[in-house]
Amino acid sequence: MSIPTLDIADLRLAFRSHRGLSEVLHGISLTIETGETVALVGESGSGKSVTARLILGLLQELKNARVTGRISFNGEDLSGFSDTERRKLRGTAISMIFQDPTSALNPTYTIGTLFHEVLRRADPKIGWAAAIAEAEDALREVAIAEPGRVLNSYAFQLSGGMNQRVLIAMALANRPKLLIADEPGTALDVTVQAQTLKLMAELVEKHHTSVLFISHNLGVVREVADRVYVIYRGNIVESGPTRELFDNPQHPYTQALLAAVPRITGGGIPEIDDDPARFSAPLVAHGESA
Amino acid sequence: MRRTLYILLRNPLSVLGIVLIALVVLCALFADFIAPFPSHVGAVVDFSNFNQPPHWPNIMGTDLVGRDLFSRIVFAYRISLLLAAVVLVIAVPIGVVMGLVAGYFGGWVEYVLMRITDVFLSIPPLVLAMSIMGVLEPTLTNGMLAVTAMWWPWYTRLIYNITRAEKEEGYVLAAEIVGASKLHIIFREILPNCIPAIITKMTLDCGFVILIASSLSFLGLGVQPPTPDLGSMVAEGANYLPDSWWLSVFPGAAILLAVFGFNLLGDALRDVLGSEE
Repeated sequence: MSIPTLDIADLRLAFRSHRGLSEVLHGISLTIETGETVALVGESGSGKSVTARLILGLLQELKNARVTGRISFNGEDLSGFSDTERRKLRGTAISMIFQDPTSALNPTYTIGTLFHEVLRRADPKIGWAAAIAEAEDALREVAIAEPGRVLNSYAFQLSGGMNQRVLIAMALANRPKLLIADEPGTALDVTVQAQTLKLMAELVEKHHTSVLFISHNLGVVREVADRVYVIYRGNIVESGPTRELFDNPQHPYTQALLAAVPRITGGGIPEIDDDPARFSAPLVAHGESA
Repeated sequence: MRRTLYILLRNPLSVLGIVLIALVVLCALFADFIAPFPSHVGAVVDFSNFNQPPHWPNIMGTDLVGRDLFSRIVFAYRISLLLAAVVLVIAVPIGVVMGLVAGYFGGWVEYVLMRITDVFLSIPPLVLAMSIMGVLEPTLTNGMLAVTAMWWPWYTRLIYNITRAEKEEGYVLAAEIVGASKLHIIFREILPNCIPAIITKMTLDCGFVILIASSLSFLGLGVQPPTPDLGSMVAEGANYLPDSWWLSVFPGAAILLAVFGFNLLGDALRDVLGSEE
């Protein structure tokens, strides 16, 4: 068996507070093989994003935190890395896309300038012309028909879906080994989100990029992930191949999570008595005597 | 840029502001050609024609030693604008860098820098400038120094607040994720987003610096005679009100014109560039 792209073993995170240590991650273990897309699903506050931040080494509050466990990237233990080495890793070997694509692009620079900046992380000597040529190719890969126009635009001049595609192109521009997608496109409308995610899935397939896909959207997870980890209150409660886990959830939390997905059941819409006279009745305030 | 210009030119008030500022700047730049009696800037005495109301060729009258008021006002603009420019060129970078650093790093860096700022902000600006001028000799350079010392904290506070807000924006996180250095994030990512606010505040402040500098010299703590200064001209004439009204009314109106112009443009810029504060 080859070395996994990402291997997290017994990752624990605790914050120091006036009440002593409070642990928020209780021993997360997670593996992503090369070219695999792995989803980490759970509700808000379950520890999904904090895990991603730990992988990147980007936790602002780290001074007040205690981290134990091991994060290995391509077989190398990240805890032995200095800040500079980690910085070098980010943006070249590991990259990330996240929720709101428009806010992720600095409004004072054109997309072309931002692209140049990203490419310079991997190749500091790359010139403007070379960077633009490479950016145009990258944008064509995410189905942007007029890369020249987009590169000359600012983020606020483009649509959310367009920005999301730009971000995907940027995130993959340096051919990272691992892409962390933290609820990508949640800020977009559903159809656009689906399109861009499909694009992303095709691209990571093509470039054999491993993906850690963080989401609470089970419909999307089912589409893109090979394997799923379910996280609940800082614990991995269940994991397995996507299909198996969806068809036969074992843990009560997974069952509850799956049951919470709204479905079109075909039972018709419940009937509502839409007599206008009823809707113009005076407002009823509960708990107050008139 | 073109959009900003377009909106500015459609607003009559901002056009008035631009015209007033242009007038003041032209006066300052071409004072030698505009002033009918350029030699009256210095220590000239003409007792045959002293303390005269406006008449030709002294369209704003003459002062107590017979110098042409209009010529002196035109040259005083040069001093006022130079002072405003020097003060802002020194104070703004200091204030902005301190605000960026305090806002971005937080923690004890923020604590130390912002408390220093608070100390300066807690002293009434004119009092601070007066005490600095009182200790030092009242010269133009020291005047600039005093006004600069009271000016930078306002920029620190403005930029500190913006930085704190911008720091949470996605693009800062995105820059951190691609491994950008702290220096890069502060100066290349956050600073460009502060520029509109800085431009707006600088425009407004041009007027205020002129006003404060005039106040200082009104109190005799600014530029010393015979160099013409709007504030000291008003002070000089104040003793002869209301009979010799031209002595202080014209220099006073000159201050008003400049401050009014910068305020109008500054307000319009604030609306256009949509900066907070």
